[in-house]
Amino acid sequence: MKSEPLVLGIETSCDETAVGIVRGRTLLANVIASSVEEHALFGGVVPEIASRAHLESILMVLDAALKESKISLNDIDAVAVTAGPGLVGALLVGVSSASGLALGLGKPLYGVNHLAAHVSVDLLTHDAPVEPVIALLVSGGHSSLLQIDDITSSVVKLGESIDDAAGEAFDKVARVMGLGFPGGPAIDHVAKFGNARAVDFPRGLTQSGDWQTRPFDFSFSGLKTAVARYLESTPKIVRADVAASFQEAIVDVLLLKALAACKKTGIDTLVIAGGVAANSRLRELAAERCQAAKIRLRVPPAGLCTDNGAMVASLGSLMVASGRSPSQADLEADSSLPVTTVSLT
Amino acid sequence: MEEFLFVSITLAIDTSTSRTSVAIVDEGALLWHGFKDGATSHGSAVPALVSEALKSAQLIEQVVVGMGPGPFTGLRVGIAFARTFALARLIPVIGICSLDAIAAQVREKDDFIVATDARRKEVYWAQYRAGLRIEGPHVDLPSVVVALGMPVFGEGAVKYSIAQNDEDQFPDMVALVNLAQNSDIHIDEPLYIRRPDAVPTSERVK
Ligand SMILES: [Zn+2]
Repeated sequence: MKSEPLVLGIETSCDETAVGIVRGRTLLANVIASSVEEHALFGGVVPEIASRAHLESILMVLDAALKESKISLNDIDAVAVTAGPGLVGALLVGVSSASGLALGLGKPLYGVNHLAAHVSVDLLTHDAPVEPVIALLVSGGHSSLLQIDDITSSVVKLGESIDDAAGEAFDKVARVMGLGFPGGPAIDHVAKFGNARAVDFPRGLTQSGDWQTRPFDFSFSGLKTAVARYLESTPKIVRADVAASFQEAIVDVLLLKALAACKKTGIDTLVIAGGVAANSRLRELAAERCQAAKIRLRVPPAGLCTDNGAMVASLGSLMVASGRSPSQADLEADSSLPVTTVSLT
Repeated sequence: MEEFLFVSITLAIDTSTSRTSVAIVDEGALLWHGFKDGATSHGSAVPALVSEALKSAQLIEQVVVGMGPGPFTGLRVGIAFARTFALARLIPVIGICSLDAIAAQVREKDDFIVATDARRKEVYWAQYRAGLRIEGPHVDLPSVVVALGMPVFGEGAVKYSIAQNDEDQFPDMVALVNLAQNSDIHIDEPLYIRRPDAVPTSERVK
């Protein structure tokens, strides 16, 4: 019997240079170098700084991952890499590094979708995949609701944010509140000391008409503006209350729509993935509401929610196991790769 | 004493200009050379050309790569690929200033300048005397280079119509490999010359 595929995954779509190694559904290594501190000075990710950092770190990260996994490069069955979406210059460092590795070793290369990889990482911590699932994918760049019948080939987009991504809203609100970058962890922390019912912030696209026309889309820019106005117009603000109320509004809408998608499709498993899935309030409220609605909830551990190489390797390993074709040698990074394109051939 | 490296078959890669160039060089002889023109095609061109190149020589003993200066995104493609390919094969990778590999083919007895396109109406340039780089690399407006009063060669010179000829525009791949025999001029990091533009994604107009 052939053992499960041993796959090395490379991720460089934003500010993390990451390499993961998996054998089937077993995580062997997950090493991440981040340039986030260099970007904090500018209040957001600076693409050129991120790209330079990727090139500086990739060999070190590769080496550390190989040591952690105790495998030798020659043992791997395939190389997987994030081909998009993401920052084009940053993606190119990963794709070029991955193709150099694959061609050097004479092993197949799989250029995969970053967003699908966020969902597939769930496999590393749970039992066999239960498809179909509804996936709520929430990160700094994306907020989407997906129906996934087969993670290696069939991802359908039910809805997405029509303006800011959820993570982006966290960053922007953190900035107006003077909480620094990245905003997600900062707000999550401050909100723990606040009252989530203190301020009634708007829930975008949840009016009765919206449920007819845009049932699974999100809008967070109104919320962001409402927080900014509140801060300007209120003489005595309690920052923890504002953070908690803002966070509650986002989390509430995300879960309302995710559970509505489960109900509409009759799919009883919800996977929450992406950087924002590390948010403690989202995890807590999701557990409560899914239990009430008899929906099976799967959320990867917080450490695997943010960008990492293991998620890319996990999707690569599924591609190998299900006999999908690898990418051509002239694989091109695609900064706006649609979520429905799981891999590039 | 001249250092002699007992290396014969070299994979050479340069992505510092709008031309992606890949070659296999064996003891100073060009076994295979392929290139693709296009300022945004380095990413797909490098692996495509290398997989072609490997058909003429599987057993590569070292990698030599142009370290620029050049437009950042394309430049990094060649370097990233060269480094991981070398890692996979357990062979050395040597970085060389790409301008030197353009200068090596220039037939000019007096001092001259090699200038490549740096975008934003500027050029990367260096000055050569008797085959050696004596100034640069720098980045400046073409007018600054013209003011030095020397013949100018290279893609940037052609682009801004200050070139002596339009032949010696791109790195010569055999020259790139020959230069790698001199360990004094090996470069470990890309020659960016410019600082990064510090405009975060969140400030960008969508
Ligand atoms: Zn992500």
